[in-house]
Amino acid sequence: MSVMFEEFKELCLLPGVSGNEKPVSDYIESKLSQIPGVEYKTDPLGSIIVHKKGKSAPETKLLVSAHMDEVGFIINSVGEEGFLKFTPVGGIDPRVVLGRRVIISGHTGIIGTKAVHLQKADERKQAPDFDDLLIDIGAKSKEDALKYVKPGDTASFDSDFVEFGGGCVKSKAIDDRIGCAILLSLLRQPLEYSIEATFVVQEEIGTRGAKAAAFTVGADAAVVLEATTASDIAGVEEGKKVCRLGQGPVISFMDRLTIYDRGLYNLAFEAAKASEIPCQPKLAVAGGNDAGAVHLSKKGVKTLALSLPCRYLHSPSCVIKYEDAENTLRLLKELCRIIGSKPC
Amino acid sequence: MDLHELLFSLSESSCITGEGKAADIILNRAGEYSDKAFKDALGNIIVPVSDEREGKPNILLEAHMDEIGFVVQTIDDDGFLHVGEVGGPDMRVLLGSEVTVFGKEPLFGVFCSKPPHLSSKEEYKKVPSVEDLAVDIGFGHDKAAEKVSPGDFVTLRRKPADMPDGMITGKALDNRAGAAAVLRCLDLCAGKVGCGLTAAFTLGEELGCRGAVTAAFSTAPTHAVVTDVSFGYTPDAPREKCGDMGKGPMIGVSPVISRGMSDMLVKLANEKGIPYQIEVMGGSTGTNADPVSVSRGGVATGLVSIPLRYMHTAAEAVYVSDVENTARLMAEAVKEIGGFGNVRNV
Repeated sequence: MSVMFEEFKELCLLPGVSGNEKPVSDYIESKLSQIPGVEYKTDPLGSIIVHKKGKSAPETKLLVSAHMDEVGFIINSVGEEGFLKFTPVGGIDPRVVLGRRVIISGHTGIIGTKAVHLQKADERKQAPDFDDLLIDIGAKSKEDALKYVKPGDTASFDSDFVEFGGGCVKSKAIDDRIGCAILLSLLRQPLEYSIEATFVVQEEIGTRGAKAAAFTVGADAAVVLEATTASDIAGVEEGKKVCRLGQGPVISFMDRLTIYDRGLYNLAFEAAKASEIPCQPKLAVAGGNDAGAVHLSKKGVKTLALSLPCRYLHSPSCVIKYEDAENTLRLLKELCRIIGSKPC
Repeated sequence: MDLHELLFSLSESSCITGEGKAADIILNRAGEYSDKAFKDALGNIIVPVSDEREGKPNILLEAHMDEIGFVVQTIDDDGFLHVGEVGGPDMRVLLGSEVTVFGKEPLFGVFCSKPPHLSSKEEYKKVPSVEDLAVDIGFGHDKAAEKVSPGDFVTLRRKPADMPDGMITGKALDNRAGAAAVLRCLDLCAGKVGCGLTAAFTLGEELGCRGAVTAAFSTAPTHAVVTDVSFGYTPDAPREKCGDMGKGPMIGVSPVISRGMSDMLVKLANEKGIPYQIEVMGGSTGTNADPVSVSRGGVATGLVSIPLRYMHTAAEAVYVSDVENTARLMAEAVKEIGGFGNVRNV
């Protein structure tokens, strides 16, 4: 398949829990180093700041951003019996954690509890708290466990990359490796106007990398690439589906951290219509992303979020329809051209 | 025999009703020890290894080869599958779990449910029941209906993996671990059997020990050893109800099981230096030992269980060494019973 698809797959499989994004940033830098017309550097937090030369200097300095980190876990302590106590990093749904496999420093671990047969009736009906859960790496004692892991190590979900159904993909970390893959592909293409780009760290723990990176870049306008919750699944009434797989990139008017620039919001739909690219509004105020940090940077930045509809966000089994990513790239390229062409 | 490789291939493959790659693998491997292996009317795999001899015991080695899973009931207008349980999966782990749907071809699916931001705080903590869940196979209604029909079976999907230090993890180790132990036992006692010996890989255990009823009837053994899995200790479980991982097969002791068989297994383990543990139960064992022991006029039955963590989830874990030691212990039992004469059922 395409270069973007291959990179998307490779990116998803890399471990990169917030605070430990280096495997992902190393991969991205290795790709950037092969693109002519692209300069990049790393900031003190580990985010990558990129300048892409276009045919002309832009009327509006535009920033396009994606985050490199994924939700996961961090090891707090190693118990006497060799089991690991841990804390979630980022907002993980506690209901999808039990029975999952994780990778900690290359070793396989399991998040489990006692067998269902040993549970009392009321225990079977409640999702356990994170405080009640342990990671098992099959160690026989604390000393044994410390040969393989230590407190502070991060654990990512062990979830493979599967193509299935009608053009769907399941993987961990689609949020936001799909954004990174789209941004890499954008940077490879010849652009009308120069743009700035950032691959940032620590989004999942409070849009932190974006705050610092946006300050460094000092843009006039920004497009944040993300994955957003699609609830177009069984059991959800029509009106609450938020957005749907296969209907193109999702444009948000508002979420819990940002009211998006109305001019850019309308521009996105006009541009999509003019170029016959499907796109859809996000039909709920929910969630938040790096736009929350970017739009409040310095004197303020007009910001838009362009997202992939994604089922089962923040679980090891995120699902998207890949054609939505291709349409997101097409719309993004158009927006770069239009935004760069005039003052905003 | 590469026991690790056998465990991996049995764990990754599936079998609920006797159709399925796991059954194929077992039938195939059984062929190495018998040219008379066959599937009975219910789909159990019966492997006559050594003919019955006049005046000598007739031994049955039994392990169930079915796994917990689901069955498709309906396909909704959006192409999502609604399923019922087959056996008792741990409901708390299903949300977001990956499955294989055995439609016209095997299809990938994910269990889904209403996302957190659309649920109330109480709903959010509640474990969804199977009616609240649906399987997403990534198709709309028409394509889904082409590929999947009501009655198609569904199993958990997980590739097995090694953990540090010899433990392996994957789905369906309950009871592929037991099935692997029986195959390994046949490997170890090949050519050394002095009496009738049959291995049976049965179905329907997860639904209430069904296949073992007919397999035991057709085999008509005098003695039987049943292999299954039992609870491996984790810090949140009551210690007295669990065995320790890596410390060897758990020899069952219970009013339902022949005390003579239990004592013999312990004696052999001690004599041959095989690590073992004792698992005491007050009555029914919850395994195929229960129906086998009352088959026909009664059978002197022993039970050997492999300690396993996270039963009925895709994260089940066992030590390969425990499977090997279970096989060794069973092989010693076969050799002993064959020359032992009568073991009275106490």
